[in-house]
Amino acid sequence: MPRIELPQGTLDLLILRTLALEPQHGWAISERIQQISSDVLRVQQGSLYPALHRLERRGWIKARWGTSENNRRAKYYELTKTGRRQLEAEKDAWDKLTAAVAQVLGTA
Amino acid sequence: MFKDLWLRLRSLFRRKTVETELDEELQFHLERQVEKYVQSGMSREEAQRRVHVEFGGVELAKEECRDVRGVNFIESVLQDLRYGLRMLRKSPGFTAIAVLTLALGIGSNTAVFSLIHALLLRSLDVPAPRELVRITFGPPGTDGPLSSPMFDRLRERQSAFTDLLAWTNAPMVLTEKEGARPITAAYATGSAFPTLRLKPRLGRLLDWRDDEPNNIPHGVAAVISEAFWLEHFGGDTGVLGRSITVDGGMATIVGIMPRSFNGITVDYAPQVVLPFAFDVVLHGRSSCRFRADCTWFNTMARLKPGVGFEQAKANLATIAGDVLKKSLTEGYQRIDYLRNGTLSLSPGRTGNSPLGKVYGRELWTLQVLVGLLMIICCANLASLQLSRTLNRQHELVVRSALGAGRPRLVRQLVVESTLLSLAGAAAGVVLSQWMSELLVRYVEQSDFPVFLDLRPNATVLTAVIVIAALTVILTGALPAVSLTRFETEEMLRSGAQRAVSRRKNRPTVWLLPGQVALSLVLTSVALLFAVSTGKLLRIDPGFRVKGITFFGVDFERRPEKGEARLDLYRKMLDALRQAPGVEAASLVAVRPLGEGGMDESEAPVEGNGPENKHLFENVVGPDYFVTAGTRVLAGRDFSEFDRFGATPVCVLNQAAANSFFPGQSAIGKHIRSTEPHPRRPGCEVVGVVTDAKYLSLREPAPPTIYYPHDQLPEFKWGGFITRSHDSPAAISAFKYALRRFAPDTPFLPPITMQQQLEDSIGRERLMAALSLFFGGLALLLTSIGLFGLESQRVVQRTPEIGLRMALGAQRNDMMWFVLREAALVLARGLPMGLALTFGASRFVGSLLYEMSPLDPRIHCVALVTLIGAGFLASYLPARRAMKVDPMVALRYE
Repeated sequence: MPRIELPQGTLDLLILRTLALEPQHGWAISERIQQISSDVLRVQQGSLYPALHRLERRGWIKARWGTSENNRRAKYYELTKTGRRQLEAEKDAWDKLTAAVAQVLGTA
Repeated sequence: MFKDLWLRLRSLFRRKTVETELDEELQFHLERQVEKYVQSGMSREEAQRRVHVEFGGVELAKEECRDVRGVNFIESVLQDLRYGLRMLRKSPGFTAIAVLTLALGIGSNTAVFSLIHALLLRSLDVPAPRELVRITFGPPGTDGPLSSPMFDRLRERQSAFTDLLAWTNAPMVLTEKEGARPITAAYATGSAFPTLRLKPRLGRLLDWRDDEPNNIPHGVAAVISEAFWLEHFGGDTGVLGRSITVDGGMATIVGIMPRSFNGITVDYAPQVVLPFAFDVVLHGRSSCRFRADCTWFNTMARLKPGVGFEQAKANLATIAGDVLKKSLTEGYQRIDYLRNGTLSLSPGRTGNSPLGKVYGRELWTLQVLVGLLMIICCANLASLQLSRTLNRQHELVVRSALGAGRPRLVRQLVVESTLLSLAGAAAGVVLSQWMSELLVRYVEQSDFPVFLDLRPNATVLTAVIVIAALTVILTGALPAVSLTRFETEEMLRSGAQRAVSRRKNRPTVWLLPGQVALSLVLTSVALLFAVSTGKLLRIDPGFRVKGITFFGVDFERRPEKGEARLDLYRKMLDALRQAPGVEAASLVAVRPLGEGGMDESEAPVEGNGPENKHLFENVVGPDYFVTAGTRVLAGRDFSEFDRFGATPVCVLNQAAANSFFPGQSAIGKHIRSTEPHPRRPGCEVVGVVTDAKYLSLREPAPPTIYYPHDQLPEFKWGGFITRSHDSPAAISAFKYALRRFAPDTPFLPPITMQQQLEDSIGRERLMAALSLFFGGLALLLTSIGLFGLESQRVVQRTPEIGLRMALGAQRNDMMWFVLREAALVLARGLPMGLALTFGASRFVGSLLYEMSPLDPRIHCVALVTLIGAGFLASYLPARRAMKVDPMVALRYE
């Protein structure tokens, strides 16, 4: 399956969506995105963590340290209330964008 | 938002923790990924390699996370600070010299300007000081106080001012149960405080009702200064209503002046202020208050709102003639000073500053000198910084290769330079405090302590610090800006040393020669002042200097009068003469070169018609000339037989004898003074003495007439003069005699002739000492600069030197190699310096004594000094060049 590069700015949206289901640590988020997209989307590993830290600073996700599945210490992220709202807003914007692009492509 | 702040702070203060967490988080990710690959069948090494490749740079990711955290800037600045401190510590020589240079420049400039500010520029601390003006009286060109009648007439007729006020400083004696102590006191008119619009700290200040003593139920009112209140009365609020005895008269304290007000004379802070009515209480009809020839009213006024200075001046000019005519009654017309005087107006914002008038020119000259020194300091700092950065090229290049951007490098150098500036500024503040005190001690007369508010002027301090800091920072950062432009590769390969020596920065080539030029100016000026002062000190004053001590006394309030008073003086003299250690003693009214002037009068020349000639007067005791060491040329000294009732006698100095009786012997002739107080019909000249300088060392002695003390019993002021090998013995003898014969009279601090002499040329001494100090500093700084330049050159060109030596050059040739650099600098700088000096000498000329500022001998000495300093500074580097081992030098290639 050919891998498609993640367009800019969509990483944040994907992270937020992934965390909407349940709190997860960084690696799990990356795995989940890959899984759900049927391996089409591969997250750039190097940009995942800066993105997570940025979202944390903005207050959309919050972090705490916990124990992982294999009994190791890991940093878990979860969505905050404002994050949830941000997710709604960004999803909305994305839907509108894709609909518009599809329309242009459809009529061209 | 708070989350954000919290995270930022956490990153800043718990850096280690945050770093560990980040590391742990990323490690966790990497491990899970490796596990995943291993589980799908890869070998562990293969998995690890793949994971690392896929992840990209772990460090890079970490760095980006750190960036996101947003404290990167603060962290890196802190890092710069730590690094800067370390670098400064590693080169203690450079740091010490730089800080010292900063301190000297900042300290001396602030100190000198603070003194100038205090003496000449600071406004009186009253509301709207710009509205104040000074009204003065005197022959054109002088500005002295008015007399009482002048003041009263002027007050009646003026229309440009809200009111006039008068003030006189008068040291007095406060008598209390514990004893008597001298205080600084002042008289003021009742209009003074209201016109100044001053508010009391406590109680009330003097006002119009205090001008009439009869109106006050409890005697004359007085106000004291806040400092005096705290120091002497312990801040006790019950002091209001207390009565004090001053100069024998009683006054009641009614209020306290605020601390910020220290009288209208800049260097004299009155502890007690009394109304002029107090003088009337003390002296009755003979008080200066009623005399037209007693000019003691320092007059100021406040302009009416809407009235400008020019307008007031015009108003004064119209009424001046009338005022003066009405206030000078018949008898006083004969005194030149009163007859030729006019009234003038001058701005009064800064009050009255006699010290400022005396020292004004010297201080401004000094300010220019320290300004030049500041330029030298900045130039020195600049070259120090430049050479240092040149030597750190290698380090900068390596850091640049490791990924530091140019802004980062520049910033680090800026931070380091700022640290240096801060240290230098702190040292400069401390130094300025110390130098201020030194300056004031030079400026004050030995027996007249000066009160000056010495806080270093904040504006100047800031300005000077900013200038110095900018110099340091700019010269520290600029080289980094230009240095990092080259190819790092080439630099790393060929070694940093060689590449830069090629580039000669056009402006910086003139730094050191500029310093040399300015140093020459300072050195020449210093030498000029030093030689001039030396000349002054060697003048023969016409009396003995060694072993002479003066004791002022104030017998005014003693009960003895007339003959009894004379007897008191006689008894004291006898006691002094018999005391061990005292060779001779006498009395004198006018201390040579002392503060007070001399009375002047005129006398017609016997037989030569109605023409009057000018005379200065002094009143002395028996055996005065022998005691003072003034040679008697003809006739005799006064003796104890020249008493009241005997033939009136007098002694002339040579100038007077030649003026009144040219070509003949003056002995036996008669002179009659035309003073308004005719003392006697005339006196017979019994002696002629050599000229002695009483008024000023620089001027020749004026014609002087001496009267014997015993024949003028109503003469008020007088002091004792003793000659002895052992000054402390004389002092204790005097103390003993005073206690025995005049027990209540306070003992005033004595002054030696040596001190008096030095005080009288205080200005010249100030200029000489300080200009020598600054000149020496300039020389030192320039030498250091030259030394630094030479050393750095030698280090830079060691390979070249080694090469030359290997090719056959002699060791001595290498020495000239270095000295040639120095010679080049001197050759560039000295002509500039000479030009500047010749320009400057015009301004300095008026301050010198009997010397031409263009005296070639002095300038030759200055030139030789600079050249010598230059070569001395190059000596060590030259020796180092000579010692270069070609093998070692070439190996570095």
